Amino acid sequence: MTRRIWLAAASLFLVQAAFAQPNEIRKSLCRINNTAQEFNYRVPWLPGQMSGGSGTGWLVKKDRLMTNAHVVSNAKLLTVEKENDPKKYVATVEFIAHDCDLAQLKVEDPDFWKDTKPLELGVVPEIESSVSVYGYPIGGERMSVTKGIVSRIDFRTYAHSVMDSHLCIQIDAAINPGNSGGPVMQGGKVVGVAFQGFSGDVAQNTGYMIPTPVIGHFLKDIEDGHYDRYVDLSIGTFPLLNNAHRRALKLPEDDRGVVVTSVGSASVCFGKIKPGDVLLKINDLDIQSDGMVQLEGERVQMAEVAERKYKGDKVSFDVQRDGKLISAEVTFDRAWPYTHQATSYEPPKYVVFGGLLFQPMNRNLIMTYQFVNPRVFHYFAHFIDEEMYKERDEVVILTALLPDPINTYLDEFREGVVKNVNGAAVRSLKELAAAFAKPADEYVLEFEGAGRPLVLLRADIEVARERIRGRYNVLKEQHLEDEATQEAR
Amino acid sequence: MNRNLSKAMHRISFLLALLLLVSSVNAADKKLSVVRVNVTTQSWDFHHPWGKRQPVTRRAIGAVLPGARVLVTAELVANLTYLELETPEGGRKVPATVEAVDYEANLAVIKTDAAEFLAGAPELEVAESAIGDMLSVWQLENNGRLLVTQGPMTTAEVAAYPVDGAFLIYRMTVRLQGRESSFTLPVVHDGKLTGVLMGYDAQSNNANIIPAPIIRHFLKDIEGGHYAGFPRISYAYSLTRDPALRRFAKIPTDVTGGVYITDVLKDGPAEKAGLLKGDVLFAVDDSPMDQDGNFPDDAYGQISVGHLFNTHHFVGDKVKLHIVRGGERKELEATLTHRHSSSYVSDPYIIDHRPRFVIVGGLILQELSRQYLKDFGADWLRRAPERLVYFDRVQNELFKDGPRKLVFLSRVLPTSATVGYEDLSSLVVKKINGVELQSLDDVPKALEKPENGFHKIEFEEDPKMIYLDAAEIQKTERMVQMQYRLPTLKFLE
Repeated sequence: MTRRIWLAAASLFLVQAAFAQPNEIRKSLCRINNTAQEFNYRVPWLPGQMSGGSGTGWLVKKDRLMTNAHVVSNAKLLTVEKENDPKKYVATVEFIAHDCDLAQLKVEDPDFWKDTKPLELGVVPEIESSVSVYGYPIGGERMSVTKGIVSRIDFRTYAHSVMDSHLCIQIDAAINPGNSGGPVMQGGKVVGVAFQGFSGDVAQNTGYMIPTPVIGHFLKDIEDGHYDRYVDLSIGTFPLLNNAHRRALKLPEDDRGVVVTSVGSASVCFGKIKPGDVLLKINDLDIQSDGMVQLEGERVQMAEVAERKYKGDKVSFDVQRDGKLISAEVTFDRAWPYTHQATSYEPPKYVVFGGLLFQPMNRNLIMTYQFVNPRVFHYFAHFIDEEMYKERDEVVILTALLPDPINTYLDEFREGVVKNVNGAAVRSLKELAAAFAKPADEYVLEFEGAGRPLVLLRADIEVARERIRGRYNVLKEQHLEDEATQEAR
Repeated sequence: MNRNLSKAMHRISFLLALLLLVSSVNAADKKLSVVRVNVTTQSWDFHHPWGKRQPVTRRAIGAVLPGARVLVTAELVANLTYLELETPEGGRKVPATVEAVDYEANLAVIKTDAAEFLAGAPELEVAESAIGDMLSVWQLENNGRLLVTQGPMTTAEVAAYPVDGAFLIYRMTVRLQGRESSFTLPVVHDGKLTGVLMGYDAQSNNANIIPAPIIRHFLKDIEGGHYAGFPRISYAYSLTRDPALRRFAKIPTDVTGGVYITDVLKDGPAEKAGLLKGDVLFAVDDSPMDQDGNFPDDAYGQISVGHLFNTHHFVGDKVKLHIVRGGERKELEATLTHRHSSSYVSDPYIIDHRPRFVIVGGLILQELSRQYLKDFGADWLRRAPERLVYFDRVQNELFKDGPRKLVFLSRVLPTSATVGYEDLSSLVVKKINGVELQSLDDVPKALEKPENGFHKIEFEEDPKMIYLDAAEIQKTERMVQMQYRLPTLKFLE
């Protein structure tokens, strides 16, 4: 034990020797406290359970703070604290990027910015080079420093959204809850934002930071005052490592090229790239047969090239199609529209009608309800690769019944995927709400798969409406649109 | 469930109350109507379809029936490799064979050539019981004494059987003691065989019993020499308790019961009779159906109409279906048939048969079956590949023109020909060399026509299409077989 403390002290000393200015770093650092409300998908009309936590922020500009999106998600009130200043300042989220777990905050009170100093962004550090992590782990009030080396640079899932993967750097410095959002420094510059790790029983001495290409991407994206999200090629490819596969496609033995397996109609590549195409180059970079490219001295996945693009940018491909070499240009004119597989931080959307709760499928819903109907999971997992979005924008599920005489015989429909109402297809929750709003004597709902129709009589619904609202404290009968979407209008 | 017996014994062995219900019959007094059945089974390993798992030996008890036959559950003799009968007191053993088996009804009849072996053993008659009757479960002590435990019959209902289908079940509450040979225990009432115990839960003390009507049906069916199996009607239905549904389906007010037909199996008896989705079936022959799909059975009262179709009737019987369609009454006639396991898209069970497979290069191609999924263990619903579980579940929706097999790549044996393909698994194979696959039988034919020297294999899922060098895999076939010690590279019978 003594030995360990001594070692820690030695590292700290080394940090001082290297940069000789821990007090300078203090001027760029703050602790962020988040009082949040977590939505409950089982009672989506409620404001949610109180929760919260703390993380670390740092000055990315002279009057702006950067931290992780997950530090400030679902925030009702954010306060920031500097060391050597007893005051708590109120902060607000200016931009939040759930897909790359970054956020930029404002603090209105000019006093907060007194005697502070923004940090500069560095580059992608080299493997085995040392870095220092600054922050307020496990809620401490005083700044903590840990030090480690860069262990690995690769593409990795960002746990905040679950769906997105970006460049990610693994370091062996201890990163603990509370470190989130804090700067990882090398040579006096920020080379990353500490953001995720493993629990001790999975792996030890592994922490992850968001590297500067991703940070820079976020900062450039918000320059126009709006975060557009990452653009994406949205195609499936398969490595061409198999000799017979290469020869069948008449490719030379040069270890180059991947074959396109799917191009969904929602992809920006649709019409430009086709299944069966062999992609040989992206923006003049050779695509190796395992799908990697050499980018700025690192071997990275081909997707990394697209990662560094913005809405409106283009990429070009050298393509072998039907034995001929052609070139194709793809414009990133939109971000990928279907994000149901990502964790949502929007208030849950729902419709209550006749005591039946309808909700669109997304990751949160799947995690909350643990459905047993394999059809629901099938829609969740294959919505994109089977292009189910051609039939519907959202998969609307009857998730629960608020028991009442009018729905007492309807339990068999729980977990059903709504197909149509009175013969008209339901493509989204909004369409379902519109169908219910249309006057009719009866509403006949059909669900995917074999089953009987669900029949609701208008007259019964009218009678039951206030009874159900009152009994179950349904504060609002529907919420149909994300706030972000509403703002955009 | 039988496994739980030994656990149960510990918990209840000190209960005095139990002892009052247990009596012993000395084997020496007279010959018993039961024999020991020693079974060795060895199931095929569906995840390595060229091989069998290790053999398992179990001891069970069989009931002696007229005609020197012994009745046990089908589960006991599934994938049988060796079978013998043994006297209750032990010692004398004779080889035996399975005369007839029905894995759906979970019953099997055993015979032995050593005719004198069963001589003198009183033959058990089969008789039904009623709810409330005190039934006796027979077990054997090591010394051959009969151990009899009594309990009341609590329910008769139609419920799912182990592999496929739902049939009548008796349930009883009984506190069984753990004994070495506790499989397939005879259940007796008034000296007559009323059922065979097929499952027991040591915690609730509930036992599931294959009842006399199912046994009778099975025995009568094998009499003719050709076993036809239990008949089916093959439709799916919903209850009609919901008044809104009754109104929607235009059920006349004088029809008080009925079920709403939600699906009709392609080429099944119901479809051939003209039954349609949306029809309301309210009576079968002279039996009215209530809103839950029950009919008044003479012996058991309101019970699922499935029992009427599959046990009151035999294959080939005609039944009249009384329906309401669009408010009008109609009468249809259906001829009941048996639905064979192999006629499903995904066979509910494959027992006593080797799994079919073809290995191409190192790609293992198989046909989807629930047996394959069940090889993922007791919680196969969670552990088996989600996509295959889904296809099994929605198999009736997969092919519009009637059932066929789903060929899939289960996994890849890495070989020099499969470099880059090692991680592919659980992919549905649509075509090989342009030939659409209806079953594994189409694979050898398709492999005869490589395109420009390559086999083109197309999947439903990514990577959608891969190639193998036809000459190369032919050349390396033998090497692959030796390397992985495969007895054969295909089995298609």
